[in-house]
Amino acid sequence: MSRINQVIIIGHNPIAKVLYEKCKRSGVSVFWNDLSQGINADVIIETENSNREEKKKAIQEIEAAVHPETTILSTVLRLPTTEIASWAQNPSRIVGFGTFATIERTGLVEIAPALQTNPSHLNESKGFFRMIGNVTEVVKDEVGLVFPRILAMIINEAAFALMENTADAASIDEAMKKGTNYPYGPLEWAEKIGLEDIYAILQGLFDQLGEERYRPASLIKKLIYAGWTGEKAQKGFYYYQNHLRGSEVSE
Amino acid sequence: MQIKQIGVIGSGTMGSGIAQLLVQSDFATIMYDINEDILEKAKNSIFKRLDRLKEKERLTPDQWSKSKANLTLSSQIKDLQDCDLIIEVVPEKLELKKNIFKEVERICQQDAILATNTSSLSVTEIASSLNHSESVVGMHFFNPAPLMPLIEIIKGIKTAPEVIDQVMNFAKQLHKSPVLCEDTPGFIVNRVARPFYNEAIRIMKDQIASPEQIDTIMKKAGNFKMGPFELQDMIGIDVNFSSTKSVYQGFFGESRFRPNSYQERMVQAGILGRKTNKGFYDYE
Repeated sequence: MSRINQVIIIGHNPIAKVLYEKCKRSGVSVFWNDLSQGINADVIIETENSNREEKKKAIQEIEAAVHPETTILSTVLRLPTTEIASWAQNPSRIVGFGTFATIERTGLVEIAPALQTNPSHLNESKGFFRMIGNVTEVVKDEVGLVFPRILAMIINEAAFALMENTADAASIDEAMKKGTNYPYGPLEWAEKIGLEDIYAILQGLFDQLGEERYRPASLIKKLIYAGWTGEKAQKGFYYYQNHLRGSEVSE
Repeated sequence: MQIKQIGVIGSGTMGSGIAQLLVQSDFATIMYDINEDILEKAKNSIFKRLDRLKEKERLTPDQWSKSKANLTLSSQIKDLQDCDLIIEVVPEKLELKKNIFKEVERICQQDAILATNTSSLSVTEIASSLNHSESVVGMHFFNPAPLMPLIEIIKGIKTAPEVIDQVMNFAKQLHKSPVLCEDTPGFIVNRVARPFYNEAIRIMKDQIASPEQIDTIMKKAGNFKMGPFELQDMIGIDVNFSSTKSVYQGFFGESRFRPNSYQERMVQAGILGRKTNKGFYDYE
């Protein structure tokens, strides 16, 4: 495995920013949304989760700017690594990774090779995360990998329960923390992560696996349409609930 | 009405745990069971736990003696006639619970609150055969009841709002955190926690990651205290499988809750987790 001297991060979402900060802190030379030095880069990180066409365009732009053997790490919350690799001129260098912008609080990042990935690029990817202070676990390729997928499904269930008025948001969060020791309540957790990423995983699983089991709660979609996507927007499930209550009172 | 005297019906693990919590919180409590031997054993185990709490100085000698004095045993249901609150903690069999509540309604005061500790049955249905179904409410404690802070308070379709208020206040007097929940399958915790197990098993069966990997990932990436497989081994594969089946059936086959056939195979093979020394992991 070669030494990593230069990293380029592509994308505008929270995970791109967090990885940029982590790279800077590790001392590596890092560029954000700037491919002008692409030919010298050792690792490229691509982070689009919501829009397939933009992700495809990003991969193609990266490939046009970098050395043909440079490792490209791409987020796989919405699509499997193998699909992302299928767009690439050199699919063997694409490696998927799955984590949230809350990565600062967590030590482990999952990575997954595409069916076409060459093991040397998997090793380069492990090396990159080690450099920025994260351990890795290599799993097989599927939308959302393990933790993002399981958490998204828990949040989806909590969203269904809230939408159906089974209990209020604070009760749902408190029940999961005090009844079964979750580190955060699922609704507050979703607000920390940002609802777009949770929706990306659910819709990604729904598209890839084609099962009703994975359909996103309609409430999550509506909150995204309304821009109430969590802490960053300062509005989310809790705002929705209190807003509804407020309007009931005023009627 | 102020809740002073409480009856607990059933003296198994949950029943005796709830009775211990009540006597420690200084409520006069009658623990009822049809079998006097079981009742005596339950009392001994409660007293042993109270003794240990005194040794550890978690109870003062005064609290310790009061707690013990607060507990009365009975194998006669009519002894519960003066109770303000009766908590039913018998096995999860609908007919059994319905019959017990019918008997209780016959002997208790009109304004007594009747609570069921069911985790999987409908509170509305348990109440359905009573004249005063508005007095019936769900109080779902978590095991071990003296330690776990959560109580799910379940509002049946006919439960009276005053009954809900009284039970919510009562739970706070026990220094617990009550959460109010509609009478829906799995209530909050057993429902929202389903994907933690179901999705983990699905990921394993789809060969994406091993149980060991999934447990490691959930702890190190997700900050969960235990992974889904070690937790299932602790709960019991059979217990977890029946919770999943009950929520799945309760929602008329909603696919989010569908169990995996592999869970059933494990149960059929007698591989039930720690209690059989083998589950997703070996404990020999």
